[in-house]
Amino acid sequence: MSMTKKMMAALAITGSLISAPTLADTVKIGMNVPLTGFAAADGKSALLGAELAVEQANAEGGINGTQIELVRYDDQASPKHSVPIANKLIGQDEVSVAISGSYSGATRAAAGIFQSEGVPYISAFAVHPDITKSGDYVFRTSFVGEVQGRAGAKLVGEMLGKKRVVVITLKNDFGKSLAAGFKSKAADFGIDIINEYEYSIKDRQFGPIVTKVKSDKPDAIYASGYFFTAGPLVAQLRSAGIDVPVIGQEGYDSEKFIDIAGPSSEGVLITTSLDRDATVAETKDFISAFEAKAGYKADMVAASGHTAAKVAIAAMRKAGTTDRQAIRDAIAATNMVASTGTISFNDLGEVKKDVQVQVVKDGAWHHYAVIDDKELLAPPVE
Amino acid sequence: MLYVELLAQGLVQGSIYALVAVGLTLVYGLLRILHVAHAGLFTLGGYIGVLVTNATGSLLLALVVSMLVVGLLGMAIYRLCYQPILDKPPYVALIASIGLFIAMEEIYRIAFGPYGISYENPPLQDVVHIFGITLRLGEVAVGIGTLVLIGALALFASKTRFGTVWRATVTDPEMAESFGVDIIKVRYLNFFIGSALAAVAGVMVALLNNLVEPTMGSVPSYKALAIIVLGGLGDVRGTLLAALALGVIEAYGTIYLGNYLDRDAIAFAFLILVLMVRPQGLFGRA
Amino acid sequence: MLGLSGYEISLITSMGIAVIFALSLNLITGFCGQISLGHAAFYGIGAYSSAMLTKAGMPLGVGILGAVIFAGLVGLAVGFTSLRVRHDFLAITTMGVGFLFIGIMRQWDFVGGEMGVSGIPGSGLGKPGFMFLVLGFGVLTVLFSLHLKRSWMGYAFDAIADDEDTARVIGLDVSRYKLAAFAMGTALAGLAGALYAHNVRFIDPESFGFVESITVLAMVVIGGIGSVFGVIIAAALLSVLPLWIQFIDEYKLLLYGGLLFAMMRFSPGGLAGLAKQILPKKSSLKASGDTKA
Repeated sequence: MSMTKKMMAALAITGSLISAPTLADTVKIGMNVPLTGFAAADGKSALLGAELAVEQANAEGGINGTQIELVRYDDQASPKHSVPIANKLIGQDEVSVAISGSYSGATRAAAGIFQSEGVPYISAFAVHPDITKSGDYVFRTSFVGEVQGRAGAKLVGEMLGKKRVVVITLKNDFGKSLAAGFKSKAADFGIDIINEYEYSIKDRQFGPIVTKVKSDKPDAIYASGYFFTAGPLVAQLRSAGIDVPVIGQEGYDSEKFIDIAGPSSEGVLITTSLDRDATVAETKDFISAFEAKAGYKADMVAASGHTAAKVAIAAMRKAGTTDRQAIRDAIAATNMVASTGTISFNDLGEVKKDVQVQVVKDGAWHHYAVIDDKELLAPPVE
Repeated sequence: MLYVELLAQGLVQGSIYALVAVGLTLVYGLLRILHVAHAGLFTLGGYIGVLVTNATGSLLLALVVSMLVVGLLGMAIYRLCYQPILDKPPYVALIASIGLFIAMEEIYRIAFGPYGISYENPPLQDVVHIFGITLRLGEVAVGIGTLVLIGALALFASKTRFGTVWRATVTDPEMAESFGVDIIKVRYLNFFIGSALAAVAGVMVALLNNLVEPTMGSVPSYKALAIIVLGGLGDVRGTLLAALALGVIEAYGTIYLGNYLDRDAIAFAFLILVLMVRPQGLFGRA
Repeated sequence: MLGLSGYEISLITSMGIAVIFALSLNLITGFCGQISLGHAAFYGIGAYSSAMLTKAGMPLGVGILGAVIFAGLVGLAVGFTSLRVRHDFLAITTMGVGFLFIGIMRQWDFVGGEMGVSGIPGSGLGKPGFMFLVLGFGVLTVLFSLHLKRSWMGYAFDAIADDEDTARVIGLDVSRYKLAAFAMGTALAGLAGALYAHNVRFIDPESFGFVESITVLAMVVIGGIGSVFGVIIAAALLSVLPLWIQFIDEYKLLLYGGLLFAMMRFSPGGLAGLAKQILPKKSSLKASGDTKA
């Protein structure tokens, strides 16, 4: 850690309150996560993943002998609730570091509070590009949408060699930024986007879009969505007789996608960050430990919650103190193997890691390829 | 051909809307209540449909059980929730209903998990070709099922004695009562039929999406309100036509206006336009 | 500051914003009897207006003023087109306005579209300073509400809420009063929205959706429709309830829904009704929605 870097970090939080390291018998990690309402499914996975990381670390003796406590509050994925929660975690619970297991809106709003109070904050799977722009205390362990979209373009245009592509976009920050990334690199990989459709996160009936896509006769379909929209979409595409490759992203990454789409899910490809057939011990251990804890198979969100908590824990161990600035510096210098791959951050706090391509084979997610093109996957720096 | 296929898709969606909205308009016609919790019954219908099918392998049995259970629950909701506050201003029942709906969604999530449930072996997924249009059997079943059920309802209302009493009560409750009609009985029947139809819609939607989630009712909770207003509030025939019209408009709108407005906004833009010209709804009497 | 923690300050700020928002709907629904299921749209217009103005370099005061004026103008236009529809038709029309607002904001790249607006300037007053600003506006809104209720216009609103046709017969210009209620109520919602934007500093279309419209209507009805003090208490309580009952964890929203239901089922007059159960019932909205009337 260079002197100038330390000074810069100190400068950034000048004027804000820095609470003194507490002498409590536990160290606290804060977490805002949706446990009720529409986002409760993802919230549950993220929370279980984070809890697992904390349990594992405590079994190994916590942070240099001190046990770790995960303090979490339900934010219903709403910015309105995440702001007071951030204040509570900082002021009342005096957490040393916090993670978000929530969606973009809630995470974006909370990030501003954590930044201004000088508390390190790691977003597990929220995709909004502005989250890390809040400042130098905010990090993200998942890909921004653009990066994954670019990887998708490479997968479709180069690895699969499909050129006439229809893009079906989920109309929210996740889908929009994926589409933007995909389109930015489409031409480079010789892809001709012949049509683009948008749908709302509430849609489950895609009859009209499916009908139109059929008449477009594409070579491949790049469709953004979550398992609960992508499951019905893929099933409906297949039963309309459209059998060209469907390429999705980490939003599909759940057992539930295969349950919903059934046999139609066979052959669907996604870009994600969890490799089911990993040979890396860290990922293998996570997959079996998560299933034992949760009672269902690990998904991307669970792995992301696990990774975010793990990064926070590793940083606290390295810093050897509960001083928030020291922890921030340790996070910034992260270089570790987590369940979602080998992780380090760029200057903006965006993660640098490989993209996993998974495919549905015999009713389960399996390894297909890895995209490790550093240039293509370079996260935004400003 | 594309236009015809889109029309078919719109009619399928419209049929689902119709099954949900008819029950809502029946309740409105009789009690002047915007029964938002109706959408919660629709979701429950889907859950029972999937659970019973997975347990027994019979979709038909699931459909019957779902209609019965949900129909009875609808009656219970009337008795326990609405009857005591019928003489209060309408917004009282509206907020009570919204509260009930939120609570129902949360109960489903706690009881059945946040991820939703699916058919283990989804029935009626085969594809049929009718006049060059490709449809899944499930979609055909939705169309035919809606036609049969609404047709049966119309027959029941016009040809049977009880049906006549029912219609008379909806038109003029006080008059009917003075003729010795047991209004309470009519209301129970009304809730049973309306709720059972919503259960059918729930089972059908579960079939088409192969997914029942706790929040499955959130779109119908407000979309069905728009439909019964378009249909003239309390008018079953108007509601049916409005539902089908909205389904078709959304189908074309998704393709040709989708890059300007989303599905909900298209539906409500249409609603507002109609109400500006006909404040009593498309098919309502002034 | 006053021994309040940052968390308590943020709670009080949230409460204050909710009170202004709820009182704004109380003008339309409580005083004048016009049910709105799309009030969050005007809250959103205020939030977006002030966010865009201050991001363009305007001072906070201009942002807030712009929010009030713009929300009020749109409210006036919506009120004008809504004059044709009544009762439940009005409720559903306003719901439609809410969905149309979301649909338009989602599509409009100038205001960030789906991505929302980030980096909204703060108040520059610090957390306690902003809390006092919100409380100041809150007090003004309360005083305005109380004054309005006892004014000639307030009595006219009451008559319209009671029975529109009778009000017309006794010579009230019903349309004009309704428009006035809409303009004032939506302008105040714009104020609340502007304060929200500078508090949370990130807004997206989803934050001003149907759920938000329902939440604010619930505050008004739970408080006791038309009762200024009842609405203040209900808004303050309901806005922070989800944060206070964190300990019941995943049963939180179930309790919230159950509470709305139980309140209406057992105390239809809301908190105000509970408080004055001994007194004779005051005039309120007549059971209506009867299209044949």
